[in-house]
Amino acid sequence: MKLLLKIIIFIIPLIIFSFFYLYLSKDNSYPGADYKKFDLPAFELQSLYDENFISNNLLDGTYLVNVWASWCITCRVEHGFLTELSNNNINIVGLNYKDNRDDAIEWLVKYGNPYEVVIHDLKGSLALDMGVTGAPETFLITDQRVIAHYRGEINNMIWNDVFLPVIKERGLVIDAK
Amino acid sequence: MLNKFLFLFFISFTLLAESYYDFQNDEDEKRFFNLIKEIRCPKCTSGSLASSNAPVSEDLKKIIAEMIEDNKSNEDIKSYISDRFGKETLYDTPIEPKTYALWYSPFIFLLVCLMIFFFRKKA
Repeated sequence: MKLLLKIIIFIIPLIIFSFFYLYLSKDNSYPGADYKKFDLPAFELQSLYDENFISNNLLDGTYLVNVWASWCITCRVEHGFLTELSNNNINIVGLNYKDNRDDAIEWLVKYGNPYEVVIHDLKGSLALDMGVTGAPETFLITDQRVIAHYRGEINNMIWNDVFLPVIKERGLVIDAK
Repeated sequence: MLNKFLFLFFISFTLLAESYYDFQNDEDEKRFFNLIKEIRCPKCTSGSLASSNAPVSEDLKKIIAEMIEDNKSNEDIKSYISDRFGKETLYDTPIEPKTYALWYSPFIFLLVCLMIFFFRKKA
């Protein structure tokens, strides 16, 4: 029985160490990224610039949805990178989140508009339906389905490591028309 | 006279007070307050919806109140939120294959300890 006890004394720390090794060595450098797939919720919201309504049926193909607001400081940080993407002909739809219309338009005039279309989500209803917890967040959508999602500021590294692998794997074309 | 004025002045605040969420009956209201204690705010590190005034929590509380008005069950409401914000929003973790280790490992650990204890006694 003493032998059994000795074995157990060895085994228990071994289990604990292997547990820590397994969970701590896991490469999860992007906690903001997730690849849960779900259908783009049905919505009908006004465009930021005019009274026309934008609904999910009007948006087709592959595009990014970027949740932003003029009060959001991190959105200002990632704005440069979004402009770069837009200059490389990437189709980005802006989802203006809980923002004053005039403030939002002024913001885009001041810093430039990287978006093909901007949806004005004053009450955050579409954002809530998509599981947005705050701005900025970015979704990759193809054929009315969300296939990748990032919570927080996106930059070159996140674009290359989180979004590009999915785009390449599926052979998607994300060019703006 | 002044006393009466003061009395009226103070009482008028409470007369204007109204509940933020409207419910048809007390039971619905109780259900609401229980639910917001059982759901974690998706934006906070750890805090319930009840304790949070983050914009997303305010939205979720409004949605919960609306769903209660529509006579949706607690399960419907919880699955609506966990589908969008992840299972970690539920304080009460469901028992399913993925969480077996979480739920049953303490009992297994206890059993192992008891076994060691009894083996030792015999020796």
